[in-house]
Amino acid sequence: MLPPSRSLAVRAVEACGAYTLLRLARDGADAGVPGQFFMLRADPAPADAYLPRPISAAWADDDELAFLLEIRGPGTRALAAVGTVDVLGPIGHGFELAPGPALLVGGGIGAAILPWLVRILPDARVLLGFRSEAHAVCAGLVHPQATVVVEPELVTEPLARLLPGFEGTVYACGPDAMLGAVAALAAEHGVACQLAMEAAMACGFGACHGCAVKIDGRWKRLCVEGPVVEASRAVA
Amino acid sequence: MPSLETTFCGLRLPSPFVNGSGTLDALVSGTLGVSAFVTKTVTLNPREGNPPPRIAETPAGMVNSIGLANPGLDRFCEDDLPRLAELGVPIVASVGGWSPGEYATAVARIAAHPAVVAIELNVSCPNVESGCISIGTEPRETRALVERCRAEADVPVLAKLSPSVTEIEAIATAAAEGGADGLVLINTLRGIAIDRTTLRPLLGGGGGGLSGPAVKPVALHAVFHAYAATGLPIVGMGGVSSGADASEFLAAGATLVGIGTALFRDPRVVERAALELANELERRGASGPEDLVAAAHPPTSTSSRA
Repeated sequence: MLPPSRSLAVRAVEACGAYTLLRLARDGADAGVPGQFFMLRADPAPADAYLPRPISAAWADDDELAFLLEIRGPGTRALAAVGTVDVLGPIGHGFELAPGPALLVGGGIGAAILPWLVRILPDARVLLGFRSEAHAVCAGLVHPQATVVVEPELVTEPLARLLPGFEGTVYACGPDAMLGAVAALAAEHGVACQLAMEAAMACGFGACHGCAVKIDGRWKRLCVEGPVVEASRAVA
Repeated sequence: MPSLETTFCGLRLPSPFVNGSGTLDALVSGTLGVSAFVTKTVTLNPREGNPPPRIAETPAGMVNSIGLANPGLDRFCEDDLPRLAELGVPIVASVGGWSPGEYATAVARIAAHPAVVAIELNVSCPNVESGCISIGTEPRETRALVERCRAEADVPVLAKLSPSVTEIEAIATAAAEGGADGLVLINTLRGIAIDRTTLRPLLGGGGGGLSGPAVKPVALHAVFHAYAATGLPIVGMGGVSSGADASEFLAAGATLVGIGTALFRDPRVVERAALELANELERRGASGPEDLVAAAHPPTSTSSRA
């Protein structure tokens, strides 16, 4: 059924290195679980940003829903410039937390969904990769002891060193190429792995069929099947 | 407040608002206020659809290249239709194909289901290489296809037309001559999005179909002229996102109004547009939406057969 929709007030917009932190007054809205996502639309929205944007929460407090944005175009730019945001969600399948040690891997703006997971898994080991120091500033929001690498070093390099003998679960979010590499490494070492995937999306509730991702070897709607998918299903 | 009830092809519906085919999956989200649910186009064989990216935002709208992703006739009839029948709204089944025989096979089987109140023939999908859209740009083929499918169904058969033709009147008239009970227009306009970084086509399918507020004047033009040419009942759509938009389509000659891309932006849009239309009818002293149908046409124009 349709996820709930709310109009939430913007409490603060803060620069976080190359990214932007958008803090909304939660106002009793259902926050869901880490890994789920919301469709966010600025109100009012400019004519060149007709559609909402699919974004996962960075964290949810009793009174706040926070999103870390990468301003890429008119839609995200508008989100950082208005007083009210229309929020549809939470949507989809989030991370399914497994018992045992956790290894969190974030690449670029994919790190945005990890602060919330770290609050729930405070003992997790965190690996983050960014394309520049300015992008890496947000690592402080995720975990003070996170291992942070900046290109040309890739986050899969420290991951490859940690995986042998690791008996736990990898939770990863980042660009497709990174997720593919993380999934391959996890498979190589027989480690359980969940991927939070991303796709261009118009609606978020199964209507548009825009967010096609290969899952179980077929194009499927990420908003319905994901966004968190067992790695073996996504790279079969 | 005036009632929004209206009659389309003999069907009494609680409001003129339906969804555009392929813009709502009622099995996932519910029916979101539509008075009849129009399915995503079903083809004889299952289709996975086009590779991503499948959508690109454009000024006041979007270009999509989904590629008729659907479970195919068997699974649609066995899995989807029984579940759709439980939703409590009439079902309009959209059918596509690559030959008149394919259409006819699907129409015969789907129209036999008691929950299906009408068939929409998609002769206008811009996202497949041949088949659908090539039929809908040829008056002779359109007429033959409608004729063949009309013979297979005991429910009204509607032809969904493309605006990407030289003369919409010719195609609409051909559909009418083939026995179409009504018309649905418009499907998306052919469009393309170019990636600003790579300067290559952005969508995985190459080109796509443009929808959203950007296409509304084109859609109104097509509805206006298809109505003038045929007088057939019309489901008008293309950029509808408010009650005011709906009243414009009614005035152009539509009896029902489809909402599509606006649903992606706001899944509550149908409820809101219905309220706005009711308010507008009251302000105008109209007794129902039918009072507005074809208001934009001169009194001497073809009378409505809605």
